[in-house]
Amino acid sequence: MPVMPAELTIDGGMPPAEELVQRLLSGETLLADSPDHLLEVVGVLESYGEVLDAYSINLIYQAERQFLNPFPVFKYFNGEITPGKIWRYLNHDRINFEYAEYCMKAMLWHGTGGLDAYLDSDAFTASCKAIIACKCRRDPLLGLLHPLAPSFLPELIRSAATTHALGQFWRVMSDLFLDLASAERDGRVRSIPAVVAFIKDGLVAAAANPITYAVEIGSQPHWVLPPEAGLSFLVDVAVPYVEAVFLRGMPFFGTVSFNAQARQISTDQGRFAYGALYADPLPTMGAGIPPSLLMQDMLRHLPEPLHQWYRQRSRGDGDVRVKICRSFQKSMFCVTNAAIDGTMPHPLDAGEPTQRQANRAHAEAWAARLAVARTDCLDGDRPVRA
Amino acid sequence: MNLADLPLLSLLLAIPLAGSLATILWPGTPLPEQLRRVAIVVMVLQILTSLLVLVPFDPSDPELQLREIHSWVPGIGLDYRLGVDGLSLPLVLINGALTLVSVVCTREFSRRPRIYFSLLLLISAAVNGAFLADNLLLFFLFYELELIPLWLLISIWGGAGRSYAATKFLIFTAISGMLILGAFLGLALLTGSVDFSLTPVTSERLAMGSQLVLLGALLVGFGIKMPLVPFHTWLPDAHTQASTPVSVLLAGVLLKLGTYGLLRFGMGLFPEAWARLAPALAIWAAVSVLFGSLAAIAQRDMKRMVAYSSVGHMGYVLLAAAAATPVALLGATFQMVSHGLISALLFLLVGTVYRKTGSRDLDVLRGLLNPERGLPLTGSLMILAVMASAGLPGMAGFISEFLVFRGSLNAFPLATLLCMVGSGLTAVYFLLLVNRAFFGRLAITPVDDPLRHARLDIQLPSVATRETVPAMALAAGVVVLGLLPSTLGYLSEATSTAMAQLPVLLAAIGEGGAS
Repeated sequence: MPVMPAELTIDGGMPPAEELVQRLLSGETLLADSPDHLLEVVGVLESYGEVLDAYSINLIYQAERQFLNPFPVFKYFNGEITPGKIWRYLNHDRINFEYAEYCMKAMLWHGTGGLDAYLDSDAFTASCKAIIACKCRRDPLLGLLHPLAPSFLPELIRSAATTHALGQFWRVMSDLFLDLASAERDGRVRSIPAVVAFIKDGLVAAAANPITYAVEIGSQPHWVLPPEAGLSFLVDVAVPYVEAVFLRGMPFFGTVSFNAQARQISTDQGRFAYGALYADPLPTMGAGIPPSLLMQDMLRHLPEPLHQWYRQRSRGDGDVRVKICRSFQKSMFCVTNAAIDGTMPHPLDAGEPTQRQANRAHAEAWAARLAVARTDCLDGDRPVRA
Repeated sequence: MNLADLPLLSLLLAIPLAGSLATILWPGTPLPEQLRRVAIVVMVLQILTSLLVLVPFDPSDPELQLREIHSWVPGIGLDYRLGVDGLSLPLVLINGALTLVSVVCTREFSRRPRIYFSLLLLISAAVNGAFLADNLLLFFLFYELELIPLWLLISIWGGAGRSYAATKFLIFTAISGMLILGAFLGLALLTGSVDFSLTPVTSERLAMGSQLVLLGALLVGFGIKMPLVPFHTWLPDAHTQASTPVSVLLAGVLLKLGTYGLLRFGMGLFPEAWARLAPALAIWAAVSVLFGSLAAIAQRDMKRMVAYSSVGHMGYVLLAAAAATPVALLGATFQMVSHGLISALLFLLVGTVYRKTGSRDLDVLRGLLNPERGLPLTGSLMILAVMASAGLPGMAGFISEFLVFRGSLNAFPLATLLCMVGSGLTAVYFLLLVNRAFFGRLAITPVDDPLRHARLDIQLPSVATRETVPAMALAAGVVVLGLLPSTLGYLSEATSTAMAQLPVLLAAIGEGGAS
C-alpha cells in the first residue's frame, strides 16, 4: 500500500539464488548488459583505478618508509611534507587513505588465505624476531617498548606485511581498471560480458605474480614476505581481499556498539555480511562510514561522461555519491563475476557430468552468498511493484 | 512631517484591504505569479508601515497610543476608534510577517488564484483591525470579518476532507462570535452604557454575578478560538485539511485573536470577576496543556501532532493570564509571538515534507534527514523548531515559557507545575516526530517487510533554496527572539505591568470612592 507516488521509489527486487546459478553456469554475466551499465561500470572503475593508484602508492610507502614508526604522524604524505600539503590535508582536500587502511584491517582481522597462513608460520615469527632485534638496536624507544609489550611489534609487522601485500594487489588492479577504460575508448570493450572477460583475463594474467616484501633497516635488507614463502597474487592476496572486503567487511565504526548491544553481530566472522557488495548506498546518519569515504575519493576522479550522466539523474550532483556507490556495486559484481569465472573448476562447456557437478557446486556456493547481497542493482532500475 | 500625525493604524488596515481589492478587481487575466508578486508587495508595504508605527510609539506608555477616532454609527455605539499598545503592536508585526510568509510559500495556483490572494490579504486586514480596535463592536466586526475568508480558504483550497473541516470550523467560530457579541451587548445592556468602550467594569457598576456570566461567555467564546479543551476539536481537523499557507496563518496569527481577546476583553473588562475565577482558569490551563500534549503524543499525522501542540501551548497563555502578574503577562505576550513563529515554522516544514513525500504519516516516513537523498535542511530546521517549541534555552520558546512559569509559580504552584510537565511532554512528542520521520534509514513506506524496506532506492525531489527562504527567516526569528528577548520586552513590558496592576488600581479607586 504505497502512499507516495510510485516514481519516488525503486523496488529492491533481488534475483533468487537459482537465477544467479543459472547465469553463472550459462556464461551470462551477473550484471545485465546495457549501454548505461557499460558507461557506469567502465567509468566508475576508471575513477576507482585512479584512487587505487593513490592508495597503492601510499600503502607501499607506509609499509616501507613508516615501518615500525610508533608515531606515524605524516604517514599519508608519502614523504612530501610541505606547508601547502599540510594545509590541503587539514582542509580535507585530499584522498581518504583511511579507507585503504580500513580494507587492510579487514584483511588482517578476517585472516583468510595463504598470506594469513604465512603470517602464522614459524618462519614469519623468526623473521620478526630478527627484524625487531635489529630495529631495537637502532631505536632506543622501541628497545624500551618491546620488553614491556612483546606482542606489539610483531603485530605491527603483520600489519605492515598485509599493508604491503594490499598495496601490491591494488597496483595490479589499478593498472587493470585504467587499461579497461582505455580498451573501452578504443572500442575493444563494448559490452558488460566483454568487461567481465577483460577483468578475468587480467586476473588470470597476474595470478601467479609473486608477492614479496622487504624492509631496509640501516642499510641492511630484511625480508618480511620472502620469495621462499611462495605467496602469489590471486590465491594468497586477491581471494582473501574479496572475502574480507567485498563479502565479509566489518560493522562500521560508530554503529558497531549499537549493533553489538542488540546482538545483531554474529560471533562467527564467516557469517559476516558487511562487505562492499552488501553495503547500503544510502548513508544513514553516519559520517565516516567507510564506503562513503571511497565514494568521496572516486568523485574526484570521475570521467566527465559518467559525471554528466549522473548530473542528468535524480538530484544531479546532490546525491552523486549515492549514485557512485550504486555504480560501484555494479562494477564490483562484474569483478566478482570475473573471479568466479576465473576460479570455475572446469570449463563451462565441459561435457563430463562430474565436471558439470563441480561447476554447479562452485556456482551454488557463490550464489548462496550473493543472493542476500545488493543484487537489486543487477537488472537495472525498475519501478516499484505495488 | 511628524509620523504621529499620520493615520498609520488606518494604513495598516487600508493597505491589505486595497491589495485585496486590487487582486480581485485586476483587469484582464493576470498570471498567478503576477498576483503573488502584487500580494508580496502589499505585504511588504504593510510590514514597513508596522515598522513605522515603532517610531512614534512610546514603549513606556502603557495606554493605547496613536489613537484615531472617528464617529461612525453613534446611534449604536459603533465608532471607528483605533489604538495600539504593547500588547497589540507585537501581534500586528507578526501578522504582517506571517501573512507575507503565507503568500511567499504558496506554491499551487491551480484554482482561482485571484480569489485566493484576495482572501489572504483580507484576513490580514481584518486581523490588524481586530488587534487595533478600541471599540468592542469594531473589534467584533473585524473578528467576524476574518471568519468567512478563512472558511473559504479551507473549503476551496483544502484537502480531501475539507468540506467537513471547514463546516466544523464555521460552526465553532460562529458560536464563538455569538458568545462574544452576546457578552458585549449584555455589558451595554446591564451597565446602561452604549459607547462600547474598553473601560473596565467594577462591581459598583455591575453585580459580580452578572460580571461572571458575561466573563463566562467571553471565556468560552475566546476559548473556542484559542482553542482550549474541550472546545478545541475543530482545530486539528481544520489544520489537517488546510493548505500549508493557511495553516501558517491559522496557527501563527488567527489563534492569537483568542488569546488577545481573552487578555484585552476578558481580563481588561472584568478584572474583578477575572480575579475571582483565576484559580479555576489556572486549572483549566493545566488541563488544556496536559490534554493537548498527551493527545499530540498519540498522533500519527505530523500536522495533527503540531495542531495538538498548539492546543497545549495556548494553555500557557491562559495560565499566565490567570496569574496576572507583570512577569506572567509579559510571558503571555512572548508566548503569543513565539508560538506564532514556531508553529508557523513547524507547519511550513510539515508542508514541505508532505509536498515532497506525499505523506505526513509517522508510521511511513523514516530517515528524512538523509544528507544525499532526503530533506536534510528541512530536517535540520525541524529539529531547531521542535527544540524551540520544547523550550530549549537560546530560542524564543524558552523565554516565553520561563516568563510564564516564573510569573505564575507563586500564584498557582500546582497548575504551573502541571504545565511544566506539559512542557516536558512537548519534548516527548516532538522527539518522537523527529526520531520517526527524520532519523534512521531513509524510507517512505510502511515497514511491513524489513528486507524490502532496507532496499528501496528512494529518489525524493530536492528542496530548492527559494522554498526554504520562508522557513529560514522564521527560524532566524525564533533564534533572534531567544537571544535578544529584550527587543520584545521593551515594547510590551509597560503594558503588561499596567494590565497586571489593573485589579489593584480598581480596588484602590473603589476604596477611595468608599471613603
